[in-house]
Amino acid sequence: MAQTQPPSLTKPLKIALIGNPNVGKTTIFNQLTGLNQKIGNYPGVTVDKKTGAMIYQDQVYHIIDLPGTYSLYPNSEDEIIAHRVLNQLSEIEKPDFALMIIDSVQLSRGLFLATQLIDLGLNLAIALNMADMAEKSQLEIKTYELFKQLGVPILQTDARHLKGMDQIKELIHQQNFTNPGPFIEAKEFLDNSQLQDVKEYFELSNDYQAYQILRFGLKDKGLSEEKRSWIRKKLETLTINLEAAQLEETKIRYKRITEVIEKVLVKKSHQEVGSAPLDKIFLHPVLGYLVFGGILLLIFQAIFAWASVPMDLIDGFFADLGAWLSSTLPAGPISDLLSEGVIPGIGGVVIFIPQIALLFGFLAILEDTGYMSRVVFLMDRWMRPFGLHGKSIVPLVSGVACAIPGVMAARNIGNWKEKIITIMVTPLMSCSARLPVYIILIGLVVPDEAIFGIFNLQALTLFALYLLGVIGVLVTAFGLKSILKTSEKSFLMVELPSYRTPRWKDVLLTMYYKSRTFVTEAGKVILAISIILWILGSYGPPSQMDAVREIQEEKLAAASSEEQIAEIEAETSSLLLENSFIGILGRGIEPVIKPLGYDWKIGIALIASFAAREVFVSTIATIYSIGGDVEDDLTIREKLNTQINSNTGEKTFNKPTAFSLMVFYVFAMQCMSTLAIVYRETKGWKWPLIQTVYMTALAYFAALLTYNIFS
Amino acid sequence: MTADQLKISHSAIIEDLIDSPLKVNLMELGFLPGKKITLQFKAPSNGPLAFLLENTLLALRKQEAALLQVKIIS
Repeated sequence: MAQTQPPSLTKPLKIALIGNPNVGKTTIFNQLTGLNQKIGNYPGVTVDKKTGAMIYQDQVYHIIDLPGTYSLYPNSEDEIIAHRVLNQLSEIEKPDFALMIIDSVQLSRGLFLATQLIDLGLNLAIALNMADMAEKSQLEIKTYELFKQLGVPILQTDARHLKGMDQIKELIHQQNFTNPGPFIEAKEFLDNSQLQDVKEYFELSNDYQAYQILRFGLKDKGLSEEKRSWIRKKLETLTINLEAAQLEETKIRYKRITEVIEKVLVKKSHQEVGSAPLDKIFLHPVLGYLVFGGILLLIFQAIFAWASVPMDLIDGFFADLGAWLSSTLPAGPISDLLSEGVIPGIGGVVIFIPQIALLFGFLAILEDTGYMSRVVFLMDRWMRPFGLHGKSIVPLVSGVACAIPGVMAARNIGNWKEKIITIMVTPLMSCSARLPVYIILIGLVVPDEAIFGIFNLQALTLFALYLLGVIGVLVTAFGLKSILKTSEKSFLMVELPSYRTPRWKDVLLTMYYKSRTFVTEAGKVILAISIILWILGSYGPPSQMDAVREIQEEKLAAASSEEQIAEIEAETSSLLLENSFIGILGRGIEPVIKPLGYDWKIGIALIASFAAREVFVSTIATIYSIGGDVEDDLTIREKLNTQINSNTGEKTFNKPTAFSLMVFYVFAMQCMSTLAIVYRETKGWKWPLIQTVYMTALAYFAALLTYNIFS
Repeated sequence: MTADQLKISHSAIIEDLIDSPLKVNLMELGFLPGKKITLQFKAPSNGPLAFLLENTLLALRKQEAALLQVKIIS
């Protein structure tokens, strides 16, 4: 008997999805894998590694969604990954087959990449997607002729309308991928006799792979140092001009593709397809900006209106849960840890999901409809004076949701200097984690009334805080522009894709996966810190804590009325907190923050929220409810309004202090997750450290100024 | 002339690409000799230019458009 296992028990086949940007690749990936997706990282770079399982006919197939690219020439990290995986430079991600997605309307550009894949020797199949758009553009592709010309299986699909998805699954199932042999031979554009030892060293099967590795291998930091130095040495002795060869390759390839296109493409109408009528408004020199501003306003409005309902529900649910636990469980440290540490901690993570999901939903819609690249077009000219790129607008707008995806989105910017500046300033945009801080403080000191009949004073204040963040972004970027030096040329080449209605499934999946990433990545930090904080706030040096307890117990014994007992109990909890570890820390920094109008309790919250801004609110809530009655249904805001500053005897959260705090949070770094991401994206601690010191100093002095203006 | 000097809604044929590190990037997007381009939109104040090239709208900065040598046709 043969030793072969039944197919279902062998390792799943790996299929890489590849294509130009905006060809509907993600939609196909979502259709094939649905909720069976995993987002990880490629070693050495920071590109999201999107993989998923496709289950068809009881078999599991492993699908890899590669970043969109126009060619195998890597200009950005995204393209380096496509280059690495398709050149099969790393064993782990080596795909068995590649499914190339081509936009039917952009056949020649798609074929450019497809024929490069053929030349690499990959087993390939092609899906001609967006069949509906081709029809609209009066284009007909003779698929059988294309198959004859290229020699690889061709499918026609329309992923938006879910057409052809079963055929893709069936094609994968049948393993209907082939490699017909080179579309163009490497020897047509270079002297291939010099590639022999490259092929041997890297164990390659063809010249084109060898040429790709020589030309671009050094761009991929994922390659081992040994291999890199081998390439360096080889390049010294090489007499081929690789850049000239690349130009020659491009020319020959396009020439031959043009010949293919003449045979397979039928233009049913010779009328040229112009650009979309919508662009007359969206790209208009004046209207375009008004529309963009309007869309941003609409998004913020919607987030306020829609996110507050689920947030209130979540808030209420966790408050009830904490109260229920503390009344149900036997009293003791475990019960306290659960009801006062863990439950509020989890609540503090979950409460952000509505906002984050909504913001990512809106960003996905903007991206999906094709509008986002219009914004790049409109904004480039206004970004450049500040050392930023048109593409910086995407990280900056994302930064309004969360700096983490914003910083991650900066990797699409190819130019080092523009990327660093974008990463440095993105955390200055007011993210959703600042929102709860702003909202609570605004609610405390800004009256909920309209001025000029239409503008809500609270909304205006919030807008001013966002604006302040933007000003911080521009000023910082401008400063960095003159400090940082680079020899790299900045350029903008971006497709403005046709407008499409958003694909709701893709939008929903983005919302789901982004929220999940937040919960699992940032959530861990927030939960851990909430618990540490609760411990620090509940325990202190035993001698001091015991002394407080003794004195208070004596007082309690002497008390006669119930009012007196309540008073003493409140005093006890306040004294215990003051003597706890966290109280000691808060008191320690009080001299530094006193000029900003803060007392030691706010100091504690500042220390705690150094890890994550949103912790400020939960810390304040924890600090003021520790030892208190969790069943007391006072909301956080009501609690805060009754606090008295022990230094001044006034309300703690009066106007100067509240505004000073708001301004502090506009500028302060206060987010460990962002730091971690910046570390990852810049590959070192230099930039995250500079960023933290700079932002904290900026926050301190701006808050100092604010306090003095308002008092 | 070069493509950055085109007026809105004017079309031109690309004659050559001026040598520069960006030449290959332009070519992979489809800016090739013999292709027809039409300037469709200009972002204000010397901002990027949007060209129609075979049903696709592509945005370039002025400095990149200046790498395309063109012959005006309408």
